[in-house]
This record gives sequence, structure tokens and C-alpha cells, in this order.
Amino acid sequence: MNYFMNLVMSGLVIGSLYGMVAMGFAIIYRATGMVNFAQGEVMMLIAYMSYTFATIPGMTFVPLMVCVLTASIALGLLIEWAFIRPMLGEPMFSRVMVTIGLAVVIRSVVILIWGVEPTAFPRPFGNEVIRFGEMALYPGQIFALVSLAVLSLAMWLFFRRSRVGIAMRATSNNETTALLMGINVKRISAIAWALSAVFAAFSGLAFCLMFSLEPEISQMGLRGFPATILGGLDSVVGGALGGLVIGVVENLAGGYLGRGLKEIAGFVLIIIVLMVKPYGLFGQREIERV
Amino acid sequence: MRSRTYQNSYAGLVALSSQPTVWVWAAIGILALAMMPALFGSFGLNMLTAIFVASIGVLGLNLLSGVAGQISLGHAGFLLIGAYAQAILTTDYKVPTLIAIFLSGLVAAIASLVVGIPSLRLKGLYLAITTLAFTFIVRHVVLYADSITRGSAGMPVDALSVFGFSLKGDVRFYYAALVMLLLFVLITLNLMRSRMGRAWLALRDHDIAARAMGIDLMRYKLLAFMVSAFYTGVAGAMMALQTRFINVDTFSILISIEALAMIIVGGMGRIHGAILGAALIIILPELLSLGFTAAGDRFKTLMADRIYEVKGMMYGIVILLFLRLEPEGLAGIWRKLKRFWVQWPLSK
Repeated sequence: MNYFMNLVMSGLVIGSLYGMVAMGFAIIYRATGMVNFAQGEVMMLIAYMSYTFATIPGMTFVPLMVCVLTASIALGLLIEWAFIRPMLGEPMFSRVMVTIGLAVVIRSVVILIWGVEPTAFPRPFGNEVIRFGEMALYPGQIFALVSLAVLSLAMWLFFRRSRVGIAMRATSNNETTALLMGINVKRISAIAWALSAVFAAFSGLAFCLMFSLEPEISQMGLRGFPATILGGLDSVVGGALGGLVIGVVENLAGGYLGRGLKEIAGFVLIIIVLMVKPYGLFGQREIERV
Repeated sequence: MRSRTYQNSYAGLVALSSQPTVWVWAAIGILALAMMPALFGSFGLNMLTAIFVASIGVLGLNLLSGVAGQISLGHAGFLLIGAYAQAILTTDYKVPTLIAIFLSGLVAAIASLVVGIPSLRLKGLYLAITTLAFTFIVRHVVLYADSITRGSAGMPVDALSVFGFSLKGDVRFYYAALVMLLLFVLITLNLMRSRMGRAWLALRDHDIAARAMGIDLMRYKLLAFMVSAFYTGVAGAMMALQTRFINVDTFSILISIEALAMIIVGGMGRIHGAILGAALIIILPELLSLGFTAAGDRFKTLMADRIYEVKGMMYGIVILLFLRLEPEGLAGIWRKLKRFWVQWPLSK
């Protein structure tokens, strides 16, 4: 039982990382109808940038977060302005390929600048295990779980209550009508990219606090796809939930069925899920009109 | 001077080529390629061979993504299956190498049903992600089924021989690759003028309209996946025969991206585009490394240490530039050049 609980717990922790990545995918899909294949690479770039910030002498956690979030919002806006906006109106294939091209470029630039060696990331919360009864968690793991909880609550409120969130839902529903209703569609897309960069910042930081700063961070983008698909590409909060499910399933498969299965359990799961529910668990069915 | 094509019969429209001069030019082109071993050393020949082999795979991806409109990020998986099938069939089961090439294609085609069947319900981006998942799964299966695949150690591959005549060595294998490419270009040309090719085009342009016109979507989507995987499996087998040693690490996601870069650079859905794209993407790293060598020692070591990253960056930049500046790719540039030439001085 203890073994089982431990697997579930570490599954939830890694799942919260997947969840944050999935939210990053989903918000862009929601606002612009495309998948950002560069999400993992954006996460990697922000993580390396935050390493540079964190090694400034005298940097504590709160100023670090402020710096990282500002930088990530700027990065999201920059990418949207320079690469995504000019492609508006092009076929979907080209638009998605732009993000794939961007992904390989960012990855290569980061490695060329910072190198491939894993580096220990500064631990602002120390490295002591914190105990909750049976459970023992590292501060980095708690950071990941708390961030996911806060972000998904914030997103839920954002889409329900805030003006921009409702405008974003309207845009994803029907872009032309939203435009006619006076919504600034271009700004919505810029906001979505900035928000997705914020998710990337949180997930990147959580990764660094749990493991270390290494190029494998960008792999998290690919590993987060099953979570995104499971939750439904267009459901932000569903993505968070999908991440937790995938994390637990992967860990259980790895723990009970064998090491090799851990990495592919998520992908096998989504291929099965997609055969049954082609739009994921919480995704909206696309209605086609002829 | 050749100008417009005027056809007054249906047979003329679907003929392999509308102009007799095309045959003459094709013959001249093939003759020129056959003369290449006299001009190039083994380095140049190997590169040309690599271009031919890659072109076979890209033709397959082009049929699926460019012609039938199904995005695939999983062609590295099919390439891997083809290469391993070739290695395993020839070393463990003693299948003759030539037959093994086509069997490898067949194995990849059967494996493609794993992604082909979900594709019946999935569209666009969901499908792209599923094919990506496929590559991951294949890589892991190959790594962990080490009793069959030798796991991470990799496998040596027997050299190609046809009816007891060994095709070992750069020049002989060059001709083998050339013949193979010509065969697959001919197959593709014929597919495109058959009902199947036209059905795929209809599927890409509007699947609901295609269905209303009596095209069995399920059948043609699965066929597109299988044919495309067959091409790629054959390319994988040829790649294994060229390098004579295979390892899972060769078939990373970057290969799928490289293949997509090739069809974008070449021009979506065009046969000569696929070959031109493959040629450009394979020659570019060599040009780049020449440039880096000329730029001095510091850049030379950078190229040597970080070849993977420099290559990746180059693919990314090439993809971005072509998508922004010339969405029709090299095939589009070729078409414009041709029109300029034919209509001069009236061209604009």
C-alpha cells in the first residue's frame, strides 16, 4: 500500500508539471486554434533565463519570480508578434510548421549559449524534506503542486469572470463574430501567447527546483502532449486534470508493469482514448458545416 | 518552343506526360546522373546516394501530407521500422537482401495501421500528435525488445546483393539507389494519375465533399498511410544498407522534422519538389560546414562540437524562411522561372 501511495504521490507531482505544460498548449489552442509545438522549448528558454536571474547575488524568491514572469510575458509577446501574427490567414499546416521551426531554433540557440551540462539550480526553499504524516515531499515538489492548483483556479476564474477571459472564449467560438462584436482579436491572441509563456515559466521553474537545469526540459513539451490530448486540446482546466491523470498512470505503469513502459504509457493511453473519444475527455466536438 | 498544353481527350489529360520532349529531357537527366560516378569521388557519391534514399522517403511523406493532406510527425518511426526490418530479416532470417527491402516496406505499411486507424476519427492537429506518439512508442519498443533488436547496441546490416551479384561499394550502391528512386518516382507518377491519387487530392481539399462524391474516406485514408509508410520503410531499408549499421539514436524526432523541412522547402505535393527539397536539406549542412571552416578555427570547433544543434537551427531557419517568403517551395521557384523563360520578353 505504501508503495502504491508513493507511486501515486510522485505521479501527481510529475503530473502537475504535465498539467502546466498542457495548460500552456490549451490556452493557445483556445485563442488561436493552433498547437504551439514550441511550448517545451519556450519553457527551456525561460528556465535558462531564470537561472541567469537566480545566480545574480542577493536574489531572493519574490524578486526572482517578478523578473521571470516579466521576462516570460515579454518573450510570449515577442514570439506572437514576430512569428505568429504574420502567418495569420495562412493554412494551418504552415502555421503549425512555423512553431516547429521555432522549436528547433530555440532549442539550438539555448544549447549553443548555455551548453548541455546539467547545472544545479539554486534552491530558494532549501533542500529539506517536509513531512505530512506518511507523505514526504521536497519543497520543489510542493512548488509544482501548489503552482498547478493556483494556476488552474486562476484560469477557471479568468474564463468565468474576467472580461478578457470571456472575450477569449468568444474568439475561440467564432472569430468573425467576435470581431464584429468589437473584440480585439489580435490582442486576444497576444494575451494567449503571453499567458502560455507564464505557464511555461511556472512549469520550467518547477522542473528546475525538482531536478536540475538541463536541456531535457524541452522534452517536457513532448511529454505533455498526452495530458493535453486527454483533457481535450481546447480545455485549459481539463489539461491540468489530464496532466495529473497521465502522471499517475505513467508512474503506476512504470512501478507495476516495468521500467520501459513508464515513458510510453501516456502515449499508449491517449491512442486508446482518442479511438473512443476523438476530442479528449473535456474537449468540445468540432461541428462541421458543409 | 513549348507553350501551353491543350488536351482534347480524357486520355491525354491523364497521360504520364503530355509532351514528348519531357521524355527526352528525362532521358538526358538520367544519363547525366548515371555519369556522376565519373565526376565525383566517394564523398560526393555518398551524398548523392543519401539524397536519392531520402527522396524515396520524402516522396512517401509527400503523398501523405502534401497529396492526401494528413499531417504526420511520425515518419522517423516508419523509417526506423524499415531499417530494423531490413537488418533483422537479412541477418536472422536469411532473406535475400533485395526481397528484404520490399518486405521492410511492407512491415512499415502494416505498422502504419496503428496510426492509420485512429486517423479515421482524428483530424489535423490531433492526428499530428498521435503520429508523434507513434514515433515515441516505436523507439521504446525497439529499445526494450532487445532479444530481437539488440536494444541500444544497434545492428550491423548485410550489404545489398542482387541474384548473387554484390552491390557493395560506393559506385555500385549509387546505381542501386538511383534505380530505386526512378522506380518510386514512376510508381508515384502512376499513382497520381490513377483513381487513388485523385481520391487523395479530393480528400485533402474537402473531405466531406469527397465523401459526397463517392470516395470511401476510410479506405483511402488507410491506403494513404500504408503507401506512405511503404515508401518510408523502403527508404529506411536503403538507409540501413547504405550505412551498414543501425542504431535507434539515428532515428530521432529531428528526422521527422528534417523530412517535413524537405517537403516544405521542395513544395507540398510536388514530386520534383520532394527530390529538390531532399537535395537542398542534405547539401546545406555540408555547405554550412564549408562556410564555418572558412570562417576560422573557432567556428570549426563549434561546428564539430555542436553539429546536432547547428543542424537543427539550420532546419528551423530554412523552414521559417520558406514558409514566410516562398510557401510553394523550390517547385514554385522552378515553375516561376520556367514561366519567365517561356514567356520572355512578355513575362513579368
